[in-house]
Formats: sequence, C-alpha cells, structure tokens
Amino acid sequence: MRGKILHAIGLAAIVVFTLFPFVWMVMASFKTQSDILASPPVWFFTPTLQNYVDIFADTKVSGAIVNSLIVATLSTLLSVVLGTPAAFALARYDFRGKSDLWFWFISNRMTSPIVLALPVYLLAMYANLLDTHLVLILIYLTFNIPIVVWIVTDQFKSIPPDLEQAARLDGADQFTIFRKIYLPLGAPGIAVSAIFSFIFSWNELLYALVLTRRNVQTAPVVATSFMSGYELPWGKIMATGTVIVLPVTIFALIVSRHMVRGLTMGATK
Amino acid sequence: MTFLRLDNIKKNYGDASVIKGVSFAASKGEFVVFVGPSGCGKSTLLRMIAGLEDVSEGQLYIDGKDVTYEEPAKREVSMVFQSYALYPHMNVFENMAFGLRMAKRPEAEIRAQVMEAARILQLEALLERKPRALSGGQRQRVAIGRSIVRHPKLFLFDEPLSNLDAELRSQMRVEIAKLHRSLGATMVYVTHDQVEAMTLADRIVVLRAGLVEQIGSPTELYDKPANTFVAGFIGSPKMNFINAKVSSVSGTGLRLDHPALAGGSLGVDTPAAARVKVGDTVIIGLRPEHLTVGAADPVLSLTLDFAESLGGSTQLYARSEGEPVIALTAGRPELKPGDALKLGIAPRHIYLFDAAGLAL
Repeated sequence: MRGKILHAIGLAAIVVFTLFPFVWMVMASFKTQSDILASPPVWFFTPTLQNYVDIFADTKVSGAIVNSLIVATLSTLLSVVLGTPAAFALARYDFRGKSDLWFWFISNRMTSPIVLALPVYLLAMYANLLDTHLVLILIYLTFNIPIVVWIVTDQFKSIPPDLEQAARLDGADQFTIFRKIYLPLGAPGIAVSAIFSFIFSWNELLYALVLTRRNVQTAPVVATSFMSGYELPWGKIMATGTVIVLPVTIFALIVSRHMVRGLTMGATK
Repeated sequence: MTFLRLDNIKKNYGDASVIKGVSFAASKGEFVVFVGPSGCGKSTLLRMIAGLEDVSEGQLYIDGKDVTYEEPAKREVSMVFQSYALYPHMNVFENMAFGLRMAKRPEAEIRAQVMEAARILQLEALLERKPRALSGGQRQRVAIGRSIVRHPKLFLFDEPLSNLDAELRSQMRVEIAKLHRSLGATMVYVTHDQVEAMTLADRIVVLRAGLVEQIGSPTELYDKPANTFVAGFIGSPKMNFINAKVSSVSGTGLRLDHPALAGGSLGVDTPAAARVKVGDTVIIGLRPEHLTVGAADPVLSLTLDFAESLGGSTQLYARSEGEPVIALTAGRPELKPGDALKLGIAPRHIYLFDAAGLAL
C-alpha cells in the first residue's frame, strides 16, 4: 500500500515536472505583460486574447506557420515515400554493401548539425537555394530519411517472411507485396517515424536560421526573432510558442492511433 | 500419366548440400506425402516445387512443362504453410480473394469462387472476421480455402497440422482427405508425422539427409521396408531390432543366434539365405504389434521392465542383454515387472536386414 502511494507521488512529480513549462507557456500566452512579470506569480487572472490578436495581426507569424507547415509536411511525406522502399529492401533483400549502407544511415546522425551548417550554407548559396522552401526540405530529408529507414526496417523485419511467400504464390509482384502487405502491416512503425520526422522538421531551428532570410522563415525562427530589442514581449513569445506546439500535438494525436493497433497478430499460428 | 516430375533435383547452400539428388514422379490426382525426420530436406524440396527456393541442379516438370526456373505464380501451384501465413490486415474473404485479385479476375467471379470455397470449408459465417479473431482450426481452414479458390494444378502442404492440438489434427486430417477426394487434385504434403503420412498418402516418399530412402504406398512401406530406417520410421511403436549372428546356413534356412531369442537362437526360412554366410550380422526386425504373449512356440525370451495399459491394449517394455523390446498386445495380460516374458510371432512377420541395414 505504501509502495503504491510512493509510486503515485513519484509519477505525479514527473507529470508536474514535464507538464509545468507547457502549462506556464499556455497560461502566460493569455496574460497581460504586467501579469506575466508580477512577483509573486499570478495564478488567477483575467485572460486576454490580445497576445494572439497581436501575433496574427503580424503577417510574419502566420506566414512563418505556413512556411513551417509546407516544409514539415513535404519533408515528412518525402522521407516516408523515399524511406519505406529503402527499408523494405534492407529488411528483405541481401545485397552487396548492405551493412555499409546501414552504417551510413546511422553515421549520418552522428555528425553534429552545427559542423555542417557552414558547408551547407555555402552549398545552398552556390546553388541559389538560400531562403527557399526547397533547401529546408532537402536538408531535413537528410535527417528524416535515416529515422524512417531505421524504424521502418525494424518493423518490416518483424513481418513473417511466410506472408511474402504466400503473396508471391498468390501472384503478387514485389511492388504489390510492398504496397499490400508491408505498408499496411508496417503502418505503426511508419506512423512513429512520420511523427518523429514531422516534429523534427517543425522544431528545427539551426538550419532554418542559417538558410532563410525573409521569405521562408519558419515558426521557431520567428519566435526567437521576438527576443531582440530592449523589451521582451513575453506574451507574444508565449502565444507564438503555443501556436507552434499545437499542430504537432494534433498531428501526433491523429497518427498515434496507428501506433497502438495490434501489429501482425493472427498472421501466423 | 506423369503430372509432377522431379529429375535428380539438388539443392546446395554454399558448400552444404541439403538435397542430394531426388528423382520422383507423381501422376494426376495422386496424394503424395514427403515424410522424414527434421532436417531431412522435405520442406526444402516442397519449397523448390513451389518456386520459393531455387533449384541448384536438376529439372522440375509440372503438367509436362519444365518449370525449373519459372516464377512461383506462373507454376499454378498453391501452398498451405505451417504458420498458415494469413494476411493479418485482411478479413477472411479478402484473404481468400487475394490471389484472384492478383490475377485480375472479374469481381463477380471472385465472389463466386470465394463463396464456393467458403461453403466447402464451412467458413461462410466467418468471412468478415480478421485472422486474429479465428481459432487455430479456423485459420487452418482459411489457409486451405485460400489455396483452393484459384484451382491450382498442384496443392502443396507444408506440415499444415503441426500447430494444432491432437484432436483437431485428426479432424483436419479427415477433412484434407475428403478435400482430396472431392477435388481430385494432385497434392504434395510434407510431414514428420508418420501417422499423417500413412493415413493420407497414396504414395509416401521417405527422405533422410537429402536422399530418398524409399518410395511406395503406405502398406508397401509397412510390409516391405527397404531398410532399417524406413522400417523404424513407419509404424508406431517403432519396430524392434535385434542384431543377431548367423550360426549356420543350409539351403534357404538360416540359424540366427542372440541371447534374447528363445533358446538362444532362431531358425528362419528365407530365399536371401544364399547371400549370407556364417558369422555375418543379420538384423532381425519385429513389429511390436505382431508380437504375441503366451504363444505356444515363443521366439523371444525376455524379462518384463514395465507395462503400460492403454485401456484396450497394453504396451510391454522388456529387455534381454541390454536390447530393449517393445510389444503391443491386446487386452491386459497378468504380468508384473521382473516376470519372464515369452513372445511369439508369425514367421511371415519376421523382417531381416543385413549389417548395413538393407532388407535381405
């Protein structure tokens, strides 16, 4: 009994610890500047939508959110479209250089992004791609494809090979096997990797800061841009933060249904 | 007419040779069973017929056509897997319809074929269910249904009953036999269970270590095993073997010595007597079910270790000089461990093998 209580207290502490910054951000986004700066902190206040009105009146924020949506959606979509066939090949075929390729996918993520920031900037400049959606999508693909390939390869490997062979006898070609057997059965893994890709692309700051100027600034870049000047407009920063977090949360909720679905239960024995 | 022909088929994995040259032919409508201990290559052979494994050497013909290098789907064969291999995300109907959809058949025909198969296998009530909502026996039936909807030239079964419990297994065995009769199709069935082989097969191919030991009807294998391996593998409980020494040869008569034999020796009459000489080892094979307790003219003189009553019959475990002997006898003989046990057998039920294990 005592153990249970301690357990509950421990869990509660973790929940409070992880959720508090989020709650604080959302609360602050509804406060006036003086309420935010009040000491001791104000817990009960008259909520105001002024911060939201302000940031949406500023086309910079809404434009940035549209940019973020374009970049994150396309890069997630592309990494799934390109990554899942690669995962299928890695999971089911033996070919020369397979382990090297596998290692290459992993080593891609070992490099610290800042190391590559300058070379990537120069490349983008020479290719005339600075301040375009394309350059961000391309650079995010280099992060997202390995994520998709890792997670989905593992998922595909767990699909019994008998299913593929049964499908071959049923007359399905490789592409049909991939589309009709592996994609539906790998959906949970694909969903997880899509969430990761989307969240990464949505939140990425470093490359977005380096590679964009005015036209293609993404939401995190704009959020930080408030932090210049003499006074910090906390309400606007927090409102922008809330608006940034919202789509990711909704997206994660939508795809998380696929994650809990029973995987290959009932396929064999 | 030969429908399925294997011509010196071999399979190598690198340096390891798994199938070492199997030749065999089956006629249309025949039920052929590949049987053998695990690792004998029977499943590999089946998968080579299906086209799921490449043939390293040799030729394979189905319905007169060389299909050695043909794609699996073009061979018009279907296979029931040991694991059933049902598509878990499709319901029973879609599982059975998958092959027909791949063949781009019209929807009405697909519907008709699947409903027909569902009727034969009593799956009509389950068509909307997903595989995970089915019992083992039902999944098995769906797997069979999936293979019959396409009317393949050849049905392949890879140990289809090994995941089922004993009762369901014998029930499904009967259903498969019935299906074979009603479809009149050629079937190749792999199992390690000699009871399945005996009850289902028109012809049995006994395999060991990638080689054919014997091919024949179930009764042929039982009555005339080619060697001690087949003799021991077919029949349950296993045949008893006694390594005896030839003490005299006269015309067609042989005298064999072994301490387990009543009076220390046994005289047998066999045309093979000409092929042995005094001092040779001859293996005497005696099936447990042929041995009789309390015969007037006993062949074996043993000591009883223990007896297992199976209700209607009793299994006796006896020994003499280290050679264990099992006898299966009707009724419940009044015997207790340590008792002397005299067993008789009809002379026509005595099998003889040479020292290498080949039938004499």
